Amino acid sequence: MGSFGLTVLLDGISYGMILFLISVGLTVTMGLMRVVNLAHGAFAMIGGYVAGYLTQRGCNFYLAALAAAAAAAALGAVTERTIYRPLYRKGELAQVLLTIGFVFVATGAVTEIFGAFPYPVVFPPYLTRPLDIGFRQYPAYRLFLIASGAAIALLLWLVLDNSLYGARLRAAVDNPRMARAVGINVSLLFTSTFTVGCGLAGLGGALGAGILSLEPAYALKYVVLFLVVVIVGGEGSFEGSFVAAMALGIIDTLGKYFVAEAAPYLLYTAVFALLLWRPKGLVPPRSLA
Amino acid sequence: MGRLFAIITSATVLLWADRAPADVAKVGLLADFTGAFATWGPQFREGVEAYQALHGKTVKGLDDKLHEIQFIYRDTASQGPDKARQLAQELVLHDHVRFLCGLDLSPHAMALADISKEAKVPVVIMNAATSSITRMSPYFVRVSQTVPQDVAPLGPWAAAHDIKRVYTIVSDYAPGYDAEAYFIKTFKAAGGTIVGSARTPQQETNFSAYMERVREAKPDALYMFQPAGSPSVAFVKAYVERGLKAAGIKLLGGGETQELFLPNFTDDIVGTVTSFHYTETNTRPANLELRAQVKKMFGDKAVPDIATLAAWDGTRLIQEAVAALGGDAEGLQYVDFMKGKKFDSPRGPVEIDPVERDIIQNVYIRRVEERDGRLVNIDIDEVKMVKDPWKIDHPPQAN
Amino acid sequence: MRRARVVAAIGHAVPWAIAVVYFFAVPSDLDFGTQVMIWILFAMSLDLALGYAGILTLGQAAFFGLGAYTAGLFAIHLSPDPLLGHLAAIGVTMLVGALTGAMILHTTGVTLLMLTLAIVSVLSQYANQATDLTGGDNGLQGIRLDPIFGVFEFNIFGKTAYFYALVVLFGWFVLARRIVHSPFGRSLDGIRQNPHRMRAIGTPVWWRLLAIYTISAAMAGSAGALSAHATRFVGLSVLDLLTSGTVTVALILGGTRRLYGGFIGATIYLVVQDYSAKISPFFWEFVVGGLLIATVLLLEGGLLDFGPAVLRLRDRWQAGQRR
Repeated sequence: MGSFGLTVLLDGISYGMILFLISVGLTVTMGLMRVVNLAHGAFAMIGGYVAGYLTQRGCNFYLAALAAAAAAAALGAVTERTIYRPLYRKGELAQVLLTIGFVFVATGAVTEIFGAFPYPVVFPPYLTRPLDIGFRQYPAYRLFLIASGAAIALLLWLVLDNSLYGARLRAAVDNPRMARAVGINVSLLFTSTFTVGCGLAGLGGALGAGILSLEPAYALKYVVLFLVVVIVGGEGSFEGSFVAAMALGIIDTLGKYFVAEAAPYLLYTAVFALLLWRPKGLVPPRSLA
Repeated sequence: MGRLFAIITSATVLLWADRAPADVAKVGLLADFTGAFATWGPQFREGVEAYQALHGKTVKGLDDKLHEIQFIYRDTASQGPDKARQLAQELVLHDHVRFLCGLDLSPHAMALADISKEAKVPVVIMNAATSSITRMSPYFVRVSQTVPQDVAPLGPWAAAHDIKRVYTIVSDYAPGYDAEAYFIKTFKAAGGTIVGSARTPQQETNFSAYMERVREAKPDALYMFQPAGSPSVAFVKAYVERGLKAAGIKLLGGGETQELFLPNFTDDIVGTVTSFHYTETNTRPANLELRAQVKKMFGDKAVPDIATLAAWDGTRLIQEAVAALGGDAEGLQYVDFMKGKKFDSPRGPVEIDPVERDIIQNVYIRRVEERDGRLVNIDIDEVKMVKDPWKIDHPPQAN
Repeated sequence: MRRARVVAAIGHAVPWAIAVVYFFAVPSDLDFGTQVMIWILFAMSLDLALGYAGILTLGQAAFFGLGAYTAGLFAIHLSPDPLLGHLAAIGVTMLVGALTGAMILHTTGVTLLMLTLAIVSVLSQYANQATDLTGGDNGLQGIRLDPIFGVFEFNIFGKTAYFYALVVLFGWFVLARRIVHSPFGRSLDGIRQNPHRMRAIGTPVWWRLLAIYTISAAMAGSAGALSAHATRFVGLSVLDLLTSGTVTVALILGGTRRLYGGFIGATIYLVVQDYSAKISPFFWEFVVGGLLIATVLLLEGGLLDFGPAVLRLRDRWQAGQRR
């Protein structure tokens, strides 16, 4: 039973890591810029397709993942300057609609270019095999997800907590007016943050393709999941989205194991209950708390 | 004002009445060309066009008149039965089609039952695989398959081949329930034991938890029924990743390993045994003819699948019916002509059940193997002329 | 002054006149016309909640679907009378609207969005699994309806369904107009713009929101019942998240807070979709996506704002010239 508990925990954590990796960009942009960006999943999808395209042609997986991040980041930078900027002043509704429009365009483009079938990312052979972890065989890929997710989370935490950039970002999320007043270049901060957020989404799309399969419907299918992580965690809260991603990953896995029939309801019922209990999320940033 | 209306309406009515000259028989094909099920429409179309390119668009009726069979394609855009119904209505009232056909999803076909009866238009179903459909309208004729028909032969085959304990995992929707029921029923009847069953959300791609349960149950084989695309790919991946394959647990399935989808899998899938009504590697002349024609017209990348096949056979039935009865027969006369028809389909010999208007065909047991660097299905056994088992379990009620 | 009133009256008459003319002009496509009116009603229901009261919801499909299933199940199990079934659908959706509204309307913004989304997802899962009740993925089969008033039969030509939808739409439209021009409607305007201030001046914000949410739910339920009756079929797609998305898109395309916005938006959406399905089905996603982006970026108030937007552009251009 102990070994089984550990397995379910590993499964939940590895799933949660992917959710965290993709959602963390979304939480920062939603908290900082107050943009309901439903197109976030599209950036992850584009990253994934870039990685799939490259690895299918023999490119090294890690290089392909970096290229995926770069491509999504570049697209993020361009769209932030052109499409998203006019949105900051508009209401949530306009944001929802425009970003859904972007999702449609991305879905259409992906179908046109890559076809309607699922599109595989080719992982290195050693990641596709089970690995002996002492008490059992366990998929190496999942361990890789946990390791890389943890590494990136740690890196982000160090940057956000210790660098000047991090301090500015936190200041701008907590109190945007004050941040502007003390001379922080908020416009540049927005662009750079959005770019990094999209880059992380692209990276997550590439690394997580083994669990969240790439297909044209990806952007629409999973964005709800990413939003859940952000909102349950608390908009703009780095720690919150980590906690929420882990919680959802583990709840989902446990649910499928123990109450398979109720699994489809479980996630949304949990979200419903959590949000009624804490409408501002589990760990809301100070400005909202 | 009232006069103007009269003029406009009569003019429009005249225009439409004039749309269909006597020698053109229109056939409306409804399928998803866009959206989540976008692969069906183009495959149907290739089947129709390939058949017509080889056998001609025009048939000579017994009355010596030439009839051109003209297909009109309409996209249900993965928007469900309402859309299918609305488009069918337009095709009947506006385009005066003599036949309707296509229909990838069961709910779409079901939504057409009333229309076919009211408009007396025969509907040739080219996929929709829920058993009960053909009972819903006397105008329905099915040339594809039913879920129980494909599944039922697998249970006895497994029991006869050293598989005594099976775990079943099916996708959580109506066809999944049918597959689950018929696999369990036939496997138990043949002396097998079911050690566990699970249903997974329709678009699931994270199967780890389910595979853990299978691991603990230690069955001889795992039976799957998953939609083609990401769910089935992720399923097989999890099955290997979790060491089930290494532990000697065999994988059984159905449509997941169709030629069209095999390139999405890695060689993890080699050894999977499935039961299905069409194996791409069969060397019957009709199959070679279909495959050569499709590759010739649509390039080497084109892959004929069950949709191409059903469209090919369906077009054949429609064209033969028009040749025999002319373009102006009653809907039921066409249906009567199709009843009991036997012919050599690319899949093998088939017959249209004279009572149920459903297809009777061989079901093949195949194994996925690697040949010349490609994954293919190879027949290892076959069950001849299988009638839809659901219909046998649910005899028609006497009126 | 009198002239303005005449112009306005003509303006109001136009959509209804079109609907009547369509009946005679395009007798073979009445089913399409019926679908358009159903979606107009659905969009109008969303306009009340989202447009006027600012309730950010993506859960409107919950009520549309609930209405459709109620009407369908009522016809199968209780009575084939369409009007009774329709009333039942309205009653059930009102009740569910009031219950869920009471639970979620104290939240705002994205949290509210998420809650409405959770409701629609749970309902849709339930409908999928409860195959004995709903037919699951195969949909609700075997809906038989009596003729309306024992005279007008539902059949393939769709005449009855068309007029039935037209009458129901007109009825709801008159009611919606009265609501939005009443003091209650004005207070919703205030709540949308500044709920804190409205609360400060003593408006019972929560109650007002609950009231409009319940009315909106009933209206969406009525649209769902129309859909079930017109097609005599209910499929899982009525509870799909995409259905919520589509109706939102249709409303925004037309423009919110105008009641007529849904008329333009739903019509354009369905016509463009129908057209693109006939001509080249592959670019549908591009077209919708592009339309959405353009509407949000260029037209503040949807397509109904097209004229004024052009005028604004002209003024700006002239101002530039003078400089």
